[in-house]
Amino acid sequence: MIVTRNWLNEFIDIKETSDEELCIAFNAIGLELASTQKFNIPNKIVIGEIISCEKHPDADKLNVCMVDLGFSKRQIVCGASNVVDAKYVAVATIGAIMPDGLEIKHTKLRGVESDGMICSANELGLPNIGNGIMMLDESIGKLELGKNLNELPMLNDTVFELEITPNRGDCLSVYGVARDLGAYFGKDLIEIKEENNSKKIKLGISREATLNVQGDIDASVEIKLAMQHGDYTLPLLCMIRLSSAGLLEKDNLQNISQYVMHTTGVIFWLFDADYFKNDESKISIDIEKSENSLNCIKNPFGKLSIVGVEQNKDSIANSKTQQVILVAQYINPNILNDIVSDKKIEKDSIFYNTSRGSNPSLESGILYMTNILSKYEILDIYDGVLSHKVNTEEKTILIDCIELNSIIGQEIDRSTVSNILNKLGFKVSSKVENVIGVTIPQFRPDITNIQDIAEEILRIIGIDTIEAKPLKIKENPHRDSKISEYRLKKQIRNRATAVGFYETISYVFSDAALQEKYNFENIKSEFGLLNPIVTEMNVLRSTLLINMLSSAKRNSNYSKKIIPIFEIGSIFDENRIESEKISFLWSGQKELESVSNHGKPENIDMSTFLQKIGFVVGNFDLQECSFKNALLHPYQSANIVIDNKVCGFVSKLHPDTQDDFDLSDTFVAELDMDALVQKHTLANEISKFQPSIKDLSILIDKDLSFDSIKKVIEELECEKLNSFYPIDLYMDKSLGDKKSLTIRFAIQSLEKTLDDSELEDVMSKILDSLIQKSGATLR
Amino acid sequence: MKDLDILEKNILSCKNIEDIEKIRIDIFGKKGVLAKEFIKLASLSAEEKKDFAQGLNSAKERLQTSFDNHYASLKKALLEEKLKSEKIDMSLYGGVSNKGALHPVAETMDKIIEYFVSLNFSVEKGPMVEDDFHNFEALNLPKHHPARDMQDTFYFADSKLLRTHTSPVQIRKMLSSKPPIRMIAPGSVFRRDYDLTHTPMFHQVEGLVVEDKGEVSFANLKSILTDFLQYMFGSVEVRFRPSFFPFTEPSAEADISCIFCEGKGCRVCSHTGWLEVLGCGIVDQNVFNAVEYENVSGYAFGLGVERFAMLLHRIPDLRSLFEGDIRLLEQFR
Repeated sequence: MIVTRNWLNEFIDIKETSDEELCIAFNAIGLELASTQKFNIPNKIVIGEIISCEKHPDADKLNVCMVDLGFSKRQIVCGASNVVDAKYVAVATIGAIMPDGLEIKHTKLRGVESDGMICSANELGLPNIGNGIMMLDESIGKLELGKNLNELPMLNDTVFELEITPNRGDCLSVYGVARDLGAYFGKDLIEIKEENNSKKIKLGISREATLNVQGDIDASVEIKLAMQHGDYTLPLLCMIRLSSAGLLEKDNLQNISQYVMHTTGVIFWLFDADYFKNDESKISIDIEKSENSLNCIKNPFGKLSIVGVEQNKDSIANSKTQQVILVAQYINPNILNDIVSDKKIEKDSIFYNTSRGSNPSLESGILYMTNILSKYEILDIYDGVLSHKVNTEEKTILIDCIELNSIIGQEIDRSTVSNILNKLGFKVSSKVENVIGVTIPQFRPDITNIQDIAEEILRIIGIDTIEAKPLKIKENPHRDSKISEYRLKKQIRNRATAVGFYETISYVFSDAALQEKYNFENIKSEFGLLNPIVTEMNVLRSTLLINMLSSAKRNSNYSKKIIPIFEIGSIFDENRIESEKISFLWSGQKELESVSNHGKPENIDMSTFLQKIGFVVGNFDLQECSFKNALLHPYQSANIVIDNKVCGFVSKLHPDTQDDFDLSDTFVAELDMDALVQKHTLANEISKFQPSIKDLSILIDKDLSFDSIKKVIEELECEKLNSFYPIDLYMDKSLGDKKSLTIRFAIQSLEKTLDDSELEDVMSKILDSLIQKSGATLR
Repeated sequence: MKDLDILEKNILSCKNIEDIEKIRIDIFGKKGVLAKEFIKLASLSAEEKKDFAQGLNSAKERLQTSFDNHYASLKKALLEEKLKSEKIDMSLYGGVSNKGALHPVAETMDKIIEYFVSLNFSVEKGPMVEDDFHNFEALNLPKHHPARDMQDTFYFADSKLLRTHTSPVQIRKMLSSKPPIRMIAPGSVFRRDYDLTHTPMFHQVEGLVVEDKGEVSFANLKSILTDFLQYMFGSVEVRFRPSFFPFTEPSAEADISCIFCEGKGCRVCSHTGWLEVLGCGIVDQNVFNAVEYENVSGYAFGLGVERFAMLLHRIPDLRSLFEGDIRLLEQFR
């Protein structure tokens, strides 16, 4: 919403208020200031009158003008084609410095002397009002020749761009903003009054037109009829203001209607009267409800315009139209939004206003319109008005001032409350002690309860005046698991960074084609995303790793040689069930170049990668990989098992995928976050006796995994076996299809130091079992 | 026995451990000078023996002391030599940490969470895929209300949606527990917007306090948020401006004095001297009606974590936060 200081000044006296004070006021009352722009017409730009204008002898496009500046006359060569129609113009005299820095000097143009420049609005730093020079008229004030243009108050203006929140339809007009400011500054609003309408057509509207209302109509309308007579130009003031507001269009008649709407907030439609003429050439306007409850204005041939929503495109009047019907309209936005909901109908730009609440005071809109039309002699207006008014009862709510104070947290005295509400257009009546009745004006459909009233009070007295008070806290321990979950997650994240990973956050979206390509599931179409923003994000991701691979690729393109990243985030299965994963990716070098690795660090390898993950998530087992996707290396991948539950996978990246993403050696892992719960440990008794360490080397089939060996040993449930782990693997041609595996055993008893025969006993039991169940032989 | 002074001189003239070891054997060994002298004892008379032994013992003691001292100093010199030989240029090994880093957005979120947890707020979670009721309807955003335009929504084929704010977590918490409530809900939210200053996903932290009717006022909200913003941004000024959110009434936006220009006006604050950082307000009665809470009062607030992170760490480009760009992340090691 754009207002200017002079525009506002039509409705509230702010002559003595500085721009800075206005800026503070806008923000304070909740009309957020987005930008301000002050017109800065330079000095030495004066009002001139063109007394003569002749073609330049040597240039087709130039004109030689004699301009009266009051104090003297000047010859000025002008290149704008519209100068031939101009009378009063803005003249930059010698020595003037234009906003773009150009200094006006005496010059010769194709041999003709020129003593100044006739200016366009743009050249003066004013909003663009079209090609050519700016023609001055009395809308900007009395035109005294030779007077500095920047001394005209109307051109000495400041434009304020405000961000109006959706609840404040009443502030979508200059008039509405002025009303709010009035409450803040404690000033009365200057109401719109009828001015002397000299150009009235004595004929009454009802002689020409009839209005037929059928059924229960929700909208109020007021209709005027007018005659357009030939060409006219829009007053300069309106043009500049409309252009400031970004509303200036080509058609002058539409510009007038925009101007009145923006000023008053009353919504106008301008119809070509011919559109409503019936077979007898009488204007016949029907208002009725359509089958789907829309309030429609209908012409005799059944063509519809929907009130508050859309004007029939064929019916719109323009500056060529002779007879014009002006329809001011209002419909309660709550009713309108209800009716329009779910219906796929085209909406004009006015819907923005009508759906938020336009000005219901149609009379004031009509008054302002007729004032403008007759003041600038644009249209002749017929006497009288056709109208349909919806009777709405004014709503009064009871406000308990004590409750009001408890919402705000400070005592606001009752007279202050009443004053503010009065200035904002509410009617306040005294009820019992501490209770007031507040009647809500029709233009504030957003106000329904005491909290809304509290907001009005708060924004006008200013939040700054409210003293901050800490809330008294009652004991309210949060003993649920969510905080510990959060803390655990934070620990895990910190550990990940400690072993070198960078935390990344990627969008929860992915590319369905990419997920399919790498054999990850996609959400079933019945749960699919209807309005993705780009193809690359057309589905919810079912893995974090594809996004992470894209990040890795990007980093590799930035010639990062060491790419260690991890992410914790949500993924979605084909039924769109959300779950949280933690994923790791390490690509390239395992450490930075340094003196210790002589500048040639090795690439990441499986053992290092696993060790790092172990530092982050704690102990895990690895079992044969049961996952199926194109990221996995078929022979270097495994299930990650924590507490006997498969909770993810780890793999070297498949070489094809590695190539797809332009990466060097890369390892990935993805785990369920749920599996990483904080463990509660019960301590075991610690033996007072030294453990004995025994190594066992066996020959087994090449393809046999350690995991299967491990199971065989665990099945023995050998009490004295404290721990065991593989320490060496040897493969050689001489061993054929066998490999040699060395396992270290720690054997210990709680009662005593074991002697050799007892140790031998344990070891032979293990060996026997391995020979029988795993086909092992002693090496 | 050789002259005692000479023996002592021999000890003290040793330049290294090997030499002094030799001398030790020469003097204190089984066949050393002292041992030979003690043998002489046997051939002496009782009278002579006493004096001789006395002299011998004091000589031994003197030699031993000299030996021990000199031995210790040689040992010390040897260690010194060894240590010196182990000298490395430590400065070669600085600045090569292979540590990673937390994401600035997540780290900022942590900082925010810590503040509210220390004030006894619970940390709540909710699903990203939401329904109309929790995301809009219960938050006083009826269908086709113009305020829905503020939030361009991602919809699914079954008319579910991606939450546009963390506010639905408020509703879920209120529906699942009784007042009093003191909670925050950090999490990802989604809006259909993608340009220089908007990403389709970003992060919010939502806060909600519910107490008995008449207990919670706007003044309370002002108090906690002023303190919170000063905890986050240091000694900044905090300003509240009236605003509009469907789920709060009265509503306000909080600004801090610009941390780049200290309120003087610069490009970042669009020459206003203020930076908008969060939205807040008194919970609208309609929200309490939707969850069937009676006779309560409360406040709520919400903030965008990316905005905080970008301001705190002077991060110029919003989209870079979601690209896993190590050049950005490694600065936070």
